[in-house]
Amino acid sequence: MMDPGFEFEESLFDFSLQDQRDADWDDGSDDDMLETLYGDNDAMLPFTLSQGFPDGLSTVPSDNVDLGGERIELGSAVLNRDGVIARIENILTKIVGALLDDSDEAQLSVALRTRSHLSRRQYDQPRDISATPPPKVQEISYPGNSVQEAWRFTVVVRILELIHSCLIEHVVMTKRDMYYRHPGLFGKQSVVDQYVDDIACTFGVPRSLLNVTAAAKGLIAGNFIIRRQDGSLVHGLSEQEGILVPKIHEGDALDLSSIHWILVIEKEASFRSLLSSKRWRDLGAHGLVLTAKGYPDLASRKFLRHLSDTIPKIPMFALVDHDPDGIAIMSTYKYGSYRLAHEDIAHKDTPGLKLPELQWLGVQSHHISRTPVNEGVTETAVVTDLQGLMRLSGRDRRKAQQMLEWDICAEDGPEAAWRTELQRMLMLNTKAEMQILDELPGGLVSWLSNELEAKQGLSSAVGADEEILF
Amino acid sequence: MSKQYLTLHTIPDAHPSDIFALAPTSTSLLSASGSSSIQIHSTTSPDFPHTQTLEGVHPLGIHHLVTARDAKRAASAGFEGKVKVWSEGEDGMWKLDGEISDQVKAGDIWAIALSADGSYLASSSINGKIHVWSLNEAGMPKIREYETKGSFGLCVGLSQDGRFTASGHENGSIYVFNNDTGRLSHSLAGLVHPVRSVAFSPASKLLAAGGDARIIALYDVNSGEQVANFTGHGGWVLALDWSDTGEYLLSGSHDSKAKIWRIETRSCVATHSHGDKPLWTAKWLPKNTRSEMFALGGGNNAISFYREAAG
Repeated sequence: MMDPGFEFEESLFDFSLQDQRDADWDDGSDDDMLETLYGDNDAMLPFTLSQGFPDGLSTVPSDNVDLGGERIELGSAVLNRDGVIARIENILTKIVGALLDDSDEAQLSVALRTRSHLSRRQYDQPRDISATPPPKVQEISYPGNSVQEAWRFTVVVRILELIHSCLIEHVVMTKRDMYYRHPGLFGKQSVVDQYVDDIACTFGVPRSLLNVTAAAKGLIAGNFIIRRQDGSLVHGLSEQEGILVPKIHEGDALDLSSIHWILVIEKEASFRSLLSSKRWRDLGAHGLVLTAKGYPDLASRKFLRHLSDTIPKIPMFALVDHDPDGIAIMSTYKYGSYRLAHEDIAHKDTPGLKLPELQWLGVQSHHISRTPVNEGVTETAVVTDLQGLMRLSGRDRRKAQQMLEWDICAEDGPEAAWRTELQRMLMLNTKAEMQILDELPGGLVSWLSNELEAKQGLSSAVGADEEILF
Repeated sequence: MSKQYLTLHTIPDAHPSDIFALAPTSTSLLSASGSSSIQIHSTTSPDFPHTQTLEGVHPLGIHHLVTARDAKRAASAGFEGKVKVWSEGEDGMWKLDGEISDQVKAGDIWAIALSADGSYLASSSINGKIHVWSLNEAGMPKIREYETKGSFGLCVGLSQDGRFTASGHENGSIYVFNNDTGRLSHSLAGLVHPVRSVAFSPASKLLAAGGDARIIALYDVNSGEQVANFTGHGGWVLALDWSDTGEYLLSGSHDSKAKIWRIETRSCVATHSHGDKPLWTAKWLPKNTRSEMFALGGGNNAISFYREAAG
């Protein structure tokens, strides 16, 4: 809807205030973390104090903040996901209301609490640890008094919109993802980092409650090499547990000559068990495995897109849980974030991030049918035991029904198989995690290598010229 | 002692996706699937010609479709949560009668069943509640509401005389309610595993129930006693249907097998395979002058008709 900020892009780097603030901030947090082994997704933690959550703030009892004209009670009331969504919607609604209001009194403004100046003072002055210094309240108006202020307003509103869609979609975004949505608007990573944290501060919630994480969360492993421009090498098999999805810079050369297939795995646990298995030595020599630990972040999707652009005919497979979320995760890889994909803005800024060539390896209902199709014939590719099947929750059923309404799952849509599988889940009220394949003889890894071999046999039979390509 | 059934006819792509329900009348077979339309085929001529499509009636697909045995009435339940009631006109064409809307939210109803005269519709729900609706009264009001222990009601049955409602639940429980008194008649000794199909015998004396336990249990409706167990299915039992005379029970399983059981001898007399996908639905066709016939539908998108071999 509104994106006046693009007009101000060029003046971005002149902002003295901006530069001053950057000095306070751990700049490039994402890239640093890419190098260190960054363990679990911090969205899983209830509070991410180390990420700069203003721990004292929520205990300030009578701390009222004016946010977009709304009196907000912080303090004892702890916001949950729905509360944050409601708060953001409230702010956005007020802004829209003000836009529609023709009178002069209508003012577009957002009040943010910020700790960026506080933190500096903490270094300068000795302070009583038990006392919580109040955060500064900053009123940002549009068009405001300066070009900077107008730009800041746009940045805040855009970030609020992104956070809102993350929360609605149950998608976790990295700050890096956010930056890449509008690199032109934000100018640099630290701008996003700072305002995301200011918004968290304003709402009095940890950043994880905004579904925003710090670093890329994807892990990959496989027989590829990135030759950096400075001569350094990133080898995809260098770490036994995989490496964080690397960023590919312009000028980096990608050696993918040994890669014959790419596999995307929903779950980190399955990724790890694959890498620690004996067969990985053979499998990993010819393939590349990626997990984004659930719904994929932009960094992982960009990396995959880059691979696919580099070697266009490479078969790409998805292994996800047999449940509505599994299919939704596959859909995010294949079509992008469903709701954002229909936003013009997202289209403009993240062109071609889809992976239409992604194939569904599993888990599909025929992998978990109850009994062998032919009695007496040992069917090793089908789980015949009852263990591991679970019932759908109320949320699963609602999610499945909502997904049936997606255009891609429509009767005449491109994903008829997804529609059928969602309907089968609803009919039987069952779902299964990919770990159910561990019940097969040889477990998930054996199943996986058989399936990959079978698929490869098919694809090499179809296109003999692929040999030349690789 | 086995019986021979021959494949009479197959409609290969009757629907573009899994066929979840078949519902016969005396002259036709209605079918519903993961697509949005109901298809109707005539069963009075040997090539089972297609006669009508009820187009786009449940956009997200149809999970249940039932017909009344003695009346020209049908009801369908869609994944979007609505239940529609249909009737056949003098010209043999089906049209919409109305929607179940009295005191019900979309999605409250899962499985459905019709009484033989088409005047009552029983329904199960995800929260375990069982309801009965009067279709001939204005507004199709809800007339009975039975509480259970809250386990998903996967299936529901209505006796042909309309006196009893039965429900099968995900936790394995099976209940029989008396519609005259509005009370629970029996809480049957369940099957422990999810119960996916219940069916009253034509005389309303017996109730058959089956599901993930892979056995079919027969209960005496009056006493509530379990009187027989049919074992033999290797997969979950998804569909049960009694023949007109009550002599035979037809069952369909997730492993794509259909079986025919002779009630008198408590034995399986025939087994048929319907492709390699789940067999969601199995129905006898009302007995006309010809020999006994049944139809199967499932994950292979085809409808197959079988008839008893002569002699």
